[in-house]
Amino acid sequence: MVSIPASAAPKRRTFGELLGSDLRALPVVIGLVVLWIFFVVQSDVFLTPRNLSNLLLQSTVVGIMALGLMFVLLVREIDLSIAAIHGVTAVVSAKLIVEYGVSPLLALPLSVILGAAVGSVSARWVNWIGVPSFVVTLGLGLALNGIQLLLLPATARFGLMGTGVELIAQTTIDGIYAWLAWAIGIAFLALLILSSVRRRRRVGLEVSVIHSVVLPLVVSALIGAVAVVVLNANQGIPLPVLIFAVLLGLGGYVLNETQFGLYLYAIGNNAEAARRAGIKVPRIRTAAFAIAGGVAAIAGIIASSRTLGVGVFSGGGVGGGTLLLESIAAAVIGGVSLFGGRGAIHAALLGALVIGTVQNGLNLMGVKNEVRLIVTGLLLVLAVSIDKIIEKLTGQQAY
Amino acid sequence: MTAQADEPSARDGPATNSSVPLISLRNIQKSFGSVHALRGASVDVHAGEIVALVGDNGAGKSTLVKVMAGVHAADSGEYEIEGRPAIVRTPSDATKHGIATVYQDLALCNNLDAVQNLFLGRELTGSRLFGGRIRRAECEVRAREVMSRMRLSNLSLSRPVGAMSGGQRQNIAIARSVLWKPKVVILDEPTAALSHSAAQQVADLIRSLADDGLGVVVVSHDIHHFVVNSTDRIEVMRLGANAASFRSKDVTGEMVVNAMVGGNEGVNLAG
Repeated sequence: MVSIPASAAPKRRTFGELLGSDLRALPVVIGLVVLWIFFVVQSDVFLTPRNLSNLLLQSTVVGIMALGLMFVLLVREIDLSIAAIHGVTAVVSAKLIVEYGVSPLLALPLSVILGAAVGSVSARWVNWIGVPSFVVTLGLGLALNGIQLLLLPATARFGLMGTGVELIAQTTIDGIYAWLAWAIGIAFLALLILSSVRRRRRVGLEVSVIHSVVLPLVVSALIGAVAVVVLNANQGIPLPVLIFAVLLGLGGYVLNETQFGLYLYAIGNNAEAARRAGIKVPRIRTAAFAIAGGVAAIAGIIASSRTLGVGVFSGGGVGGGTLLLESIAAAVIGGVSLFGGRGAIHAALLGALVIGTVQNGLNLMGVKNEVRLIVTGLLLVLAVSIDKIIEKLTGQQAY
Repeated sequence: MTAQADEPSARDGPATNSSVPLISLRNIQKSFGSVHALRGASVDVHAGEIVALVGDNGAGKSTLVKVMAGVHAADSGEYEIEGRPAIVRTPSDATKHGIATVYQDLALCNNLDAVQNLFLGRELTGSRLFGGRIRRAECEVRAREVMSRMRLSNLSLSRPVGAMSGGQRQNIAIARSVLWKPKVVILDEPTAALSHSAAQQVADLIRSLADDGLGVVVVSHDIHHFVVNSTDRIEVMRLGANAASFRSKDVTGEMVVNAMVGGNEGVNLAG
């Protein structure tokens, strides 16, 4: 029998180790706070409930896209067709509603299923033929752009005003109902945490009530409460923001709690090890692409509702435009690794908030759109650079 | 020329050898196209013994181990488990028969912690209604039991294994192989790229597996230290067949190397 040396004994994790794991989001949060302070100083309007509500709403589409893309990035793949899926599924559902009189209640879920199906086609191509996802999804995206143009009428636009789709963007949940939504969210989180605590206690494991129960619940409740207060001071919680929040909750559950979520991380880090462990790697990869496609379609629905129609511009236009680039940038700025196996669900929110803040703040300052693109691009490079610097300084690779 | 030991003998410790080997491969043939990798290779592994498979590059030891682990199916030959004929043609066949393998690259996911790596692919989960929620607490308890049994309680279960030392990672990989109570553990180059002290810890850990009654097969190039000092029996392979068999305590590294490269000295020491 063997005993390992004292140096291997468990010890309190260093700040460097924490930065590489639990506190991975800290630099992004600090960056976001710095941006907010800057814009508060520059504009009196920035911190008003109306503007903050707008900022959240503006961040929703990119945030949802980044959330879906995360699943693909986690398995060390990339999907460059998500913006095209976003556009073509929105056009398909609009065509069904406007030209064929299909109810939005049927057309919109169909578009999500279509998005998931298109995503899984990319994955199957990657799995079977072995072509890199970068190439497959680039080609597929261009093909979908062509299909999108073919589906559009001569006017190059389907108006959705009066179809009911516009209600998604216009609906807000205010007053007591907003607080009810907050309470439901916190109750689900509490249930999840308490069931974990109960299980640990049942099998005789230690539980730190402060770290495992009080801290996550209080922090989540406080952040949620501040958001509700601010949004209620304007018009309440916009439905797209609520949809984003629900998707974040669902995504967090899947990634942190389920076998599927664990396999995404495992495959992203060492696909061969995952395969040898009996994990059906192609199947998990396909599911990740399907989720990204389906979620991109949801973002497409919200975007078409906000713009009251679909057209050539849907999905960022041909090539995905800034929508594709901002979705990738949001995920990466939030802390998702392009090399797989790393990234938490809050990355989509934080990344989208950073990009949304830059867009919103610079708009308020009257800065031109070109400058906004420059700033966003530089922030992306800065975020990844900070990540690398932390790794070098602490000697800890972030996981 | 092949020489077989009359009966395997553990170097020390409470070896629980019985006359029936845990696994027995006889006259295994395996070709890859025109390459005849195994030409009638044989090996027995008894409970409580550590068998080293050694040989030069291309001698067939890795192929034999892969046949044992179900990675390759043999073209012909007999595969018996506890005296009964067995069909082992896939890794899952081997797993079902209680044969676990620790690969040279360890097959660990660096971004996952020890518990997640130990249970990877076999997590204890709750109802499918909740998406197969992992029962982390139960996994952790079982992981602690295994680590404690292997005297590895000091290893952190919650750190990503990528942040651990080479020796600690090797220990995690070995712990994973015994988690599901196998009869035989196959280790491919377990001490490669480890410092001397870390290699000794791993060797001690491997000895503890044999002491617990498991059969252990080790492929190693570390002839002079690990193979001679830490195993019970040495099977030397050359050109796809058994070239010699030694009791480890009776030989020196030079004698083993001589047998590997085709010299005559020491070939008949076993038995």
